[in-house]
Amino acid sequence: MILNGVEIRDSFAEAFPMVGTRLIITADTAKWAMIAAKTMTGFATSVIGCGCEAGVEREVPAEETPDGRPGVAVLIFAMDYNGLKGVVPNRIGQCVLTSPTSACYAGMEGGKPVSIGKALRYFGDGWQIAKNVDGRRIWRVPVMEGEFVCDHETGTVEGVGGGNILILATSRREALEAAEVAAEAMAKTPGCVLPFPGGIVRSGSKVGSRYKGMFASTNNAYCPTLRAQGPTALPPEVASVMEIVIDGVSEKAVSDCTRAGIEALVKLGRDKGVVAIDAGNYGGNLGPFHFKLREIMS
Amino acid sequence: MTGLVLTPRGAFEARVDLSGVLPSVEGDLAKLKIGYGAARAELGELFDVSGAADGRLTIESGGAQLDRVGAGLSSGEIVVKGDVGHQVGQRQSGGVIVVKGSAGDYAASELSGGKIAVAGDVGARLGAAGDGAKRGMSGGVVVIGGSAGARAGERLRGGVVLIEGDAAEGAGTSMIAGTLAVMGRLGRHAGRGMKRGTLFVSSPEELASGFADAGEHDLVMLRVLARRSHELAHLFGGRTRARRFAGDLTLGGKGEALILSR
Repeated sequence: MILNGVEIRDSFAEAFPMVGTRLIITADTAKWAMIAAKTMTGFATSVIGCGCEAGVEREVPAEETPDGRPGVAVLIFAMDYNGLKGVVPNRIGQCVLTSPTSACYAGMEGGKPVSIGKALRYFGDGWQIAKNVDGRRIWRVPVMEGEFVCDHETGTVEGVGGGNILILATSRREALEAAEVAAEAMAKTPGCVLPFPGGIVRSGSKVGSRYKGMFASTNNAYCPTLRAQGPTALPPEVASVMEIVIDGVSEKAVSDCTRAGIEALVKLGRDKGVVAIDAGNYGGNLGPFHFKLREIMS
Repeated sequence: MTGLVLTPRGAFEARVDLSGVLPSVEGDLAKLKIGYGAARAELGELFDVSGAADGRLTIESGGAQLDRVGAGLSSGEIVVKGDVGHQVGQRQSGGVIVVKGSAGDYAASELSGGKIAVAGDVGARLGAAGDGAKRGMSGGVVVIGGSAGARAGERLRGGVVLIEGDAAEGAGTSMIAGTLAVMGRLGRHAGRGMKRGTLFVSSPEELASGFADAGEHDLVMLRVLARRSHELAHLFGGRTRARRFAGDLTLGGKGEALILSR
């Protein structure tokens, strides 16, 4: 399949089940809501090394947030429920509770609950106050700046982690520019986050390594400088590859996000240096979710 | 459909205990035995019972002798087109009771869910613990259009009580948790013995002596509550600042009385 000069390879992204939750972080200003959100979703690119994968889903207008202040929705995913219930209160406690004027609310209902105030209230050292209104409990934790307000807990969802596309381009500059355009389009998909820096991965990995103890190592088949030293997936005109990884609350969300990215790249076309779009997989035997690029674009 | 309709056959000669007379009751409602003074009587002897069960029960004209209206209600709606006696909505866990007149003592006593709206006044111990109970209302919403008698919200454990008029002596006495709001004037010794919970009042003058001024604050919590409670949104009127009084400190209480800033 070739669209606007860009080859859509007959490949698929192989993704895995993850457990995720959404949080709504608010603050007196949009600036501080985003600072808290970015901080709490930092160092959360790969679940292997970070314990979770997280990112900003979208800015939430004041009129849509639980306290009427500017907000940011974030999504956090872990490999299982136990992993999630550990990282969520820890990250909120270190990055949201500490952030000026912030508050933190459940962004989804249903599923097994994950603690917010249920765990963080103890910071109040006995001065914390619970309010039960409309069947929901909020906590008020006194802090030096005033009060930290948060919901008791948030819901969880069986999501999908590890959706991806690979952008094969004629130069590093063109690869990055194309990836930026794709990431910007993909980030608008509801229910998805792109957990890597700016949504883009420059160092996609393969499973395993020649070194003992390494679970993942550089994806040498896609490294342009190794073209002459073994099997390569890159045609001669490709000089750089960028990957965009997608975590979503559902298979459909990841599929929609994948399509948004491919459409943006196709719109750029071969003239902007985009040679081909590929996807990372492990032969289809490890992950239950397969996002076939050509099916998504058909 | 208007559901079941109870119309009094005449003036009552004794107090009437309507506990068990609920919209969900099965069988012939007219044959239901109810308390009538020291005796028992069939509901049909005292009321004309009409209509069909559809989750709604209307009591025409009401009366101050009708006790325990909606006691134990878990679903459905009861509308009383007049006054009710004592213990309306006692131990109600769901559903809605609307009283278009006034109510007696112990209204919403030990309520745990649902909503009670009384257009007029209520007697003493609104939402309080009933006989032999240690805790009062633990959930749900109560809105009083008029004024409340003594000790409204005594031993309140949860939920929201909004009194649009005045509250007599001892509002919020020994409150354990929950929210009690008084939009009108406050009687003496409000919040005495309060352990936790929130009182919304218009003036600190009648608070118990164990309350101390903690200053005026912009409270994010008020913004959240206003969006989760229609009744509190009505009370706050968009205000997010309040003067906080902590109490009852004489007993080590961690409750608060908030006075919304103008």
